[in-house]
Amino acid sequence: MKPFAARGGLRVNPMTRRLAGHLARGLVMIWVVTTISFVIIRNIPGNPVLGQYETLIERGMSPDAAERATAALYGFLPTGTLWEQYTGYMKALLHLDLGQSLSTPGTEVVTLIGSATKWTVLPVLGGTLLSFVLGVTLGVYAGIKRSGKLGDLLSISGSLLHGVPQYVIGLLVLAIFTTLWPIFPAGGPVDVEFVPGLNAGYLASLVQHATLPVLTYALASYGGWVLAMKSSVATVLGDDFILAAELRGLSRGVLFRYVARNAILPLFTILALSLGMLFGGAIFIERIFNYPGLGLLLVNSIGTRDYALMGGTFLVTTMAIIVANIAADLFYAVIDPRVRTGGAA
Amino acid sequence: MVLAIGDLEHFMKRLAAITALAVIITATACGTTEATGTAGPGGIYTTIDGAKQIDATAPINPFNPQGSTFVGYDAMSLAWPKNDLMDPNQFYPGIAKSWTATPDQGEVVVHLQPNARWSDGKPVTSEDIRTSIGLAYTQGGSAYTVDAGAAGAAADIQILDGKTVKVVQGANRSNVFLRNVLSTVVVPAHVYGSLLPAGFWTKLKAARGTGPAAEQAKTEITGLSQKVITFAPPKDVSAGPFVLERINPGAALLKKNEYFYDAAKIVPDKVKVLNYTGNEQIWNYLVSGKLDSAPFTAVPAAVMKRIKETQGNGIRKGFSPVAASLAFNQARKPYDNVHVRRALAYLIDRSQVTKIASPEAGTPSVTTTGIHGSSAKAWLGDGLGTLEPYKLDPAKADQELKAAGMVKKGGTWAMPDGKPWKVELHVPASFSDWVAAAKSVTSQLNDHGIEASVVTSADYILYLDELARGKYDIGFWLMALGPSPYNIYQRVYGSANGWQLLAGQLRHSPPGKNGNWMGGPETIGGVNPGELTSRLNLASPAEQKRIVGTLAKLTNEQLPVIQIYDYVNTQFVNDTRYTGWPAADSEALRLPAGVWMQLGMIRKTSL
Repeated sequence: MKPFAARGGLRVNPMTRRLAGHLARGLVMIWVVTTISFVIIRNIPGNPVLGQYETLIERGMSPDAAERATAALYGFLPTGTLWEQYTGYMKALLHLDLGQSLSTPGTEVVTLIGSATKWTVLPVLGGTLLSFVLGVTLGVYAGIKRSGKLGDLLSISGSLLHGVPQYVIGLLVLAIFTTLWPIFPAGGPVDVEFVPGLNAGYLASLVQHATLPVLTYALASYGGWVLAMKSSVATVLGDDFILAAELRGLSRGVLFRYVARNAILPLFTILALSLGMLFGGAIFIERIFNYPGLGLLLVNSIGTRDYALMGGTFLVTTMAIIVANIAADLFYAVIDPRVRTGGAA
Repeated sequence: MVLAIGDLEHFMKRLAAITALAVIITATACGTTEATGTAGPGGIYTTIDGAKQIDATAPINPFNPQGSTFVGYDAMSLAWPKNDLMDPNQFYPGIAKSWTATPDQGEVVVHLQPNARWSDGKPVTSEDIRTSIGLAYTQGGSAYTVDAGAAGAAADIQILDGKTVKVVQGANRSNVFLRNVLSTVVVPAHVYGSLLPAGFWTKLKAARGTGPAAEQAKTEITGLSQKVITFAPPKDVSAGPFVLERINPGAALLKKNEYFYDAAKIVPDKVKVLNYTGNEQIWNYLVSGKLDSAPFTAVPAAVMKRIKETQGNGIRKGFSPVAASLAFNQARKPYDNVHVRRALAYLIDRSQVTKIASPEAGTPSVTTTGIHGSSAKAWLGDGLGTLEPYKLDPAKADQELKAAGMVKKGGTWAMPDGKPWKVELHVPASFSDWVAAAKSVTSQLNDHGIEASVVTSADYILYLDELARGKYDIGFWLMALGPSPYNIYQRVYGSANGWQLLAGQLRHSPPGKNGNWMGGPETIGGVNPGELTSRLNLASPAEQKRIVGTLAKLTNEQLPVIQIYDYVNTQFVNDTRYTGWPAADSEALRLPAGVWMQLGMIRKTSL
């Protein structure tokens, strides 16, 4: 790779320059999205304290007890003009302070997000990787055998699963494995009876509780990978270099690697973006399986009008997607020489 | 072209083998988890906390609304309220073994359980109660407000001995002072005491006065609120029958507190409180028979059938001082006209609505009084029979509509000026019983030539916000929140209808101001219902009865709301592992199962 010679003689690696540009654009995007989400959040109608009071009444608490439980919450509401709130919020952000939650009064938003992130990573990352591996592998098969029965079967199953909404798959999985054939727990991240740590019971319980969310996530996203990979394989199979390779008498193993490596390239970009979306959680899956991840945290924060928590979760999701975009772009340049060299490779 | 399908198939076989292995490991894990027991012969009692969802990051602090403490298990009050039809001052003992009050409730003397100890072995003393009361002052409300003018504010706390405390009420006496004192949440002074700064009690005395010094003292005391709420003790120190052992976002595990004053009555070794994020999870737990008891959740008929079919599942029903109603915005036409409100009341078949909306947890309201039907009988006696029952009567409805000047054109009722009359019933989308009720009501109104439709709000907070801003003509509203008569009528003649009690002074705001969305008149025939309501907390029992009679009659005539159905407290129980549940209509039915255990009710099921 030839270094880029900047004015004044400073030689900057093109990759570094590319990264710097991405970072600058990313920061601007984060600021824009943060500002927009701040304005939207502050203008969502609803009084969180009144809402909490009436919710407690609705749950059977007496008005006196509900008043006692909510009176002090007013101290956690933002004060001042919208501009004052905004400047205060941005200053706090510069110090990585996302504020305090209203729905869990006094708890730092960072703590809540940190707690939810660890529970999101297991099912969403596990589900994404599982569906990616399965989908890509079977997608190659479906692409190569696209005129056969098995290829058709894989394509149809992919289309079907791709078309079924995530929450429908979740409810079906829940009904099958917790009611009809109750071998998995219906909800929660781990059985509280086990002491957290590296012990067999706790780890087994973790796996057991994560299985259905992972399975649901994998099933819901598997179809997309199969179809994308099949389509990509079909495109690559028609390329001249494959024909040339065949004419040169290259072995079937080498040919397979040629096809797979070239067909999978566009999917890596989607995978990187999917991993970025991971920080948005899987709202329906987390809700159905009572899995306390970021998606559920976001929904709850909206439901309780917890401004600081809403802002925090939006920010984390935004940053993750922007970082994933940058990573995908850089990664693509690494794995595909044509991108690196402007198509000269 | 032929590619390395063999390689691919080999890979796929390996993948299948790995997947199968993972499934086997997971299935084995299932078996392992189910078989692992961590409790003794008393077993683990499994339930849910209907009042809140679990947040494992919340501090172990009962002053925090989301705190990781559980009422009746490790969070204790001086006493536990009975589910009485009329008297809000009826209680079961808690940390207080007994109590006495002067007839005007000017003084309440509380005697603590002699053997009460914290889970760290230290005794529960009067100093703990005093500290708990001091902390309650930082939160404000009920008996512990720093506003000296407020009715029912405590004026002095005296420690009579190590196990006896006297709480003295200020000059503006409330008849629910005893209730508010006995509801005091008790925390250990040796854990929470440091939250109260030196000189706190002197400052509290100063805050009860007037002038800048008093204002400064008030500000300093209420300024402690956030510090108290966010306080996070390193571990649970409980005076209740259980103490928190562990918590995660899915559940809390509490173990028996060996120092509990009545430990012999507590049968389960542990209690597991499961979290839920939606009703459907509670249904799942109930269908699978996992819960030993659970408070009621709105359940569709098909799911209810499956819940009832589960081995051991049963239902206990009793009085629940809440009712669902249709509330009018009387600032909007034509609902400012009482004849229109009455006409609608005559057109709604409440039995039909209840059957559709809440067959298990509701009974059709006998009529509109503002009071739950069961309480109304107790409060009004024979007077209840003299009120207009508003039975389904389309002919009377027509008369009322004509009296209001409404006109019928082409079979459809219209406004007096001939413009279309469109009735919109607003409900929060998440309240399935209210949505079903609204649909039933609109269907009935449509049948009578009134163009009616249901409008749902995305969530309850949005609904409340728009309701408070007067954006709705008619909305569903919870009312009749007894047993305190003030709480009952405050829902109809309180801030939602313009009356606000600030610093002991009653003020009325015009419709559209300060949350007045009901928009009723300040006086009706010389009666000021808001003023009468505000007196309910101060009145003698005889005067209370007279005021309740007046307000019930006024509400029945004026119909600021149409009472649709009265809720029935419905608890799910399962006899498979434990038994001894409170009987139907028991005064303990609404209390958490932890209190049932304290009362010695819960036993192991004999095999």
